[in-house]
Amino acid sequence: MVIETVHLGKRYGNLQALADLNLSIEPGKVFGFIGPNGAGKSTTMLILSTLLEQSEGEAFVCGYNVRKDPASVRQSVGYMPDFFGVYDNLTAVEYLEFYAGAYKIPASKRRALVGDLLELVNLSHKADAFVDSLSRGMQQRLGLARCLVHDPAVLILDEPASGLDPRARIELREIMKQLREMGKTIIISSHVLPELAELCDDIGVIEKGRLIAYGSVHEVSNRDTGQSRMQLRALRNLDKAGLLLASSPYVHQLTEYMGGYRFYFQGTEQQKAELLQELLDEQVAVVYYGDSKKDLEDVFLAITEGVGME
Amino acid sequence: MSDFLFNPLLVKEMRDRFRSRKTMLILAVYLFVMGGIPMGFLLMDPLKAESLGDNRDLFLISAGIHYAMVCFVAPALTAGAISGERERQTLHILLTTQLSTRTIILSKLITSLAFSTLLLVASMPLYSIVMLYGSVSPEQMAQLVLFLAVNMFFLGSLGLFCSTWIKRTSISTVTTYGIAFFFVVGTGLLFFFIGESLQQTYPEQYVNSNVWSMYELQMLAGTNPIIVLSDILGESFDQSDDITFAPWLFFSCVYVVLSFVLVIWSAYLLKPIRRKWWSWKKRPVRVQ
Ligand SMILES: Nc1ncnc2c1ncn2[C@@H]1O[C@H](COP(=O)(O)OP(=O)(O)OP(=O)(O)O)[C@@H](O)[C@H]1O
Ligand SMILES: [Mg+2]
Repeated sequence: MVIETVHLGKRYGNLQALADLNLSIEPGKVFGFIGPNGAGKSTTMLILSTLLEQSEGEAFVCGYNVRKDPASVRQSVGYMPDFFGVYDNLTAVEYLEFYAGAYKIPASKRRALVGDLLELVNLSHKADAFVDSLSRGMQQRLGLARCLVHDPAVLILDEPASGLDPRARIELREIMKQLREMGKTIIISSHVLPELAELCDDIGVIEKGRLIAYGSVHEVSNRDTGQSRMQLRALRNLDKAGLLLASSPYVHQLTEYMGGYRFYFQGTEQQKAELLQELLDEQVAVVYYGDSKKDLEDVFLAITEGVGME
Repeated sequence: MSDFLFNPLLVKEMRDRFRSRKTMLILAVYLFVMGGIPMGFLLMDPLKAESLGDNRDLFLISAGIHYAMVCFVAPALTAGAISGERERQTLHILLTTQLSTRTIILSKLITSLAFSTLLLVASMPLYSIVMLYGSVSPEQMAQLVLFLAVNMFFLGSLGLFCSTWIKRTSISTVTTYGIAFFFVVGTGLLFFFIGESLQQTYPEQYVNSNVWSMYELQMLAGTNPIIVLSDILGESFDQSDDITFAPWLFFSCVYVVLSFVLVIWSAYLLKPIRRKWWSWKKRPVRVQ
């Protein structure tokens, strides 16, 4: 296990920001950490990157205890905070060289290393630009390059996509995929599930300091009910489709939605296919029949609903 | 050692400090004030040629202004050193690197000391005019330089400590000046107040003002920069006349030790995970 936490907890005064967190993440896996504001994601990440001391429990990174051996942990972790600043009057190259020096990388190796890193995050053309003149997305990518200067085995990225436009998000995701191929273990946090679904092997949903769901993306999505949210769009015979759906035992909460229907489907994949066949037999001109785009967010809302109320 | 000298933070801080236009401006203003005020006095009250080598006023004025400038500049150089990183949101990243908190603190301190040393050295030529006019011994001059250097070290460490301890630069700056004010003025006032009140309360015990020769009071006087400065300049207050040890030496030792304590304490405070030497409340320890 690259990352292991045992009954990890943190309290700020009376506020239990994190409680009894047990994670174990295997090498090379991408772990997505999802939760609403104030759930305790950043707190966990700060503890794992030795910037905050836990109140209870233990945490290990690459086998090193974060409390007892912070120097070794720092050497194996690249941490990107949710908000970070850059020094003014440094160019992108100088910025990375500065941190390479701070990780005691010999001066002779820095130049080549920095070149490679800039290449990786597609910033070679901005090598000599001042860091504070870069756009938010570029700074974010530069920050990612900064995490990598000491070639850590683990990357801890706190909401790397926040504040980025969709295009920058996609670019970031591509870089992240490359990093996964390089065999890095990555922990990445986000507010929203869909952003991580494609990238992560495992996800953990955290709310009010407690881990409430943990497993592969698929497991978490189809957790407990086996119910999924579906959407149907058709060009003709929509009313027939409505009748058919309403009479199907697998369909719940049928609503009209964007020139079609949205509903919860409770059943197996086989039953889903049969339902589609019935629709086609009724001459419904189906153009879309599948998971609703919002599905993952709905799952997220369903999972986090009512947590901490008890 | 060379590892430390070439640590990237020190290099960067030095470059930021010495390569900016602001630095040249500060230096220019500083020298202007340092040279201008004594010059003004000279113009107002031209000294006669025959009094060359006799007039000590110029030396007193220059030394006084110099000390005031040190009190003014030295805390400002470090009062934002750590809190500035915190406000710029670069501190967390810096703390995850392999730079130890001691290295970070020392790099900041050394940079500020290098700059204040530059100010000190750059103003030395002005003293050549002073020495021309006044009766100043080289020994006094050396004591003065040591005194100023110790003050720079102390005020720099104090600023650094406050900026580590306090989150915001503005509050840290105010606090630094407040504490510095206590040391500069407060210790002197304490000295006089305690001495006077002791004498008033026990007049039969301390006859003929011999309360001032109490060892504890003399130590208090030895920690007050103004009393020590006037002693170095050869202008002592009545009450501090009979200090039995060399005040400048005592002062230097006390403040150098104090500065080291502040530096070590800052490095400790900056650590995100501190080893607990003491604990106020028992923390529950979970045994698996
Ligand atoms: N320094 C602090 N002092 C007191 N409480 C804190 C501190 N830092 C965080 N908290 C509290 O701890 C809880 C968890 O905060 P955390 O920053 O870990 O949430 P998060 O999941 O990262 O949220 P976000 O999505 O907004 O970043 C919050 O309720 C927060 O108010
Ligand atoms: Mg956060």
